Amino acid sequence: MNEEIITKLKEEYENIKTPANLRQKVEAGIQQAKKERSDSMNEKRKSNVMVYLGRTAGIAAAALLLITVMANSGAGIAHAMSKIPVIGTIAEIVTFRHYENSENNMDADIKIPEVSVKNEDGTVNEETTHKINKSIQEYTDAIIAQYEADVAAAGDSEGHMNVSLDYSVITDSEHLFSIRFDELLIMASGTQMVKIYHIDKQTGELIGLSGLFKDGVDYITPISENIKQQMKTQMAADESVSYFLDSDVPEWDFQGITADTTFYVNENGKLVIVFNEYEVAPGYMGSVEFEIPTEVVQDLVQEGFLQ
Amino acid sequence: MRTDIIQKKVEETVLSSYEAMYRLAYAYVRNEADALDIVQESSYKAIKNASSVKREAHIKTWLWRIVMNTALDFIRKNQREIAVESFYENGKEDCYPDFDMLQALQILTQQEKTVVALRFFEDLKLKEIAAVLGENTNTVKTILYRSLRKLKAALEPTEGA
Repeated sequence: MNEEIITKLKEEYENIKTPANLRQKVEAGIQQAKKERSDSMNEKRKSNVMVYLGRTAGIAAAALLLITVMANSGAGIAHAMSKIPVIGTIAEIVTFRHYENSENNMDADIKIPEVSVKNEDGTVNEETTHKINKSIQEYTDAIIAQYEADVAAAGDSEGHMNVSLDYSVITDSEHLFSIRFDELLIMASGTQMVKIYHIDKQTGELIGLSGLFKDGVDYITPISENIKQQMKTQMAADESVSYFLDSDVPEWDFQGITADTTFYVNENGKLVIVFNEYEVAPGYMGSVEFEIPTEVVQDLVQEGFLQ
Repeated sequence: MRTDIIQKKVEETVLSSYEAMYRLAYAYVRNEADALDIVQESSYKAIKNASSVKREAHIKTWLWRIVMNTALDFIRKNQREIAVESFYENGKEDCYPDFDMLQALQILTQQEKTVVALRFFEDLKLKEIAAVLGENTNTVKTILYRSLRKLKAALEPTEGA
């Protein structure tokens, strides 16, 4: 009986007709991926050069580099160049390490940047530099340790796991330097995690969400309420969107953000709140982000961070 | 340089297996337009992430895994419509004289479907299926036996008569 079932099933399966435009669709998928790969490779090549020159901090750092070069080339020029204003702290990625491992079908690809924070006068801000690098190291060490534990646990059997961690500088404005980490863990399904570090360029301090706001104000409630509102609107507009809000399990529901909630400031100067996968929505929604209209926190935010 | 070679191999594999990819996708979603989308997306993901393949021997298994995950993601995103339908199909009292055989696969969970399709239709080894699912071989065996029992119960002509 089993064989009969299988034979019949197989027959029908093999009779599934493939549509005429199948190959065309496949080729379209391949072309798109190739295009994006070559685009991102060009970008990578560019950014390698930037890292090499130590110019990731953009214009201000470029000015600094110029000063260094010129200072070496003649006293007169050094004097003239010293008048170039360098505003605030300069933060940049000076180097990065790469942890790569592959065994038994498990692999890890983890990039660990090292950040250098300089004071206005060009000296290294030891405290913040140390603090941010230590924090980054703890974060990446934890990921590597977990990966190594999983490899050990898999023993001789073939494991199936892929961990990758990449970073990018997402903000480098007059006020803020933000570096974002994207962790992707693929086992049976994938998990996406985001972690972002911010340096206040005016003070040279590593800051969290509260660092954007005036002392002692309640920014948590207005932001949380705004997010709940956005969740409701999105869910009402699109059936496939779903958040943990007013659900059957109230204790899983999104209650509000905390001071440790991940955030960044986007290119329009708007605050964006980021939630990891599963944090506020079912897994298929992945990691989700909410842009907060600046009006919501207008009176609470410190000047210069948001627009 | 190595990445380029792998990418080329992945592309070759996609181009020689897209019909099989389509059939697997179709077994999940049972409609042409959705299956086409899944194959296109899978091809895209395969080339885009080609550099994550470390050994040439893994390409095929890896590709199945992409198709499976893409299809499951797709189903999850469109859960509501599909879920309601299959809920009623889980009833066991009927006997189906002119039963659409492939329709029978719908009584299986997504994971059971994957195992049956890869084992019997695509002739993968248990070990390879285990790699696709990220499970060990014994688990795959268990799933396979369970699936066969379910199919047999659903398709046995004397059932319920």
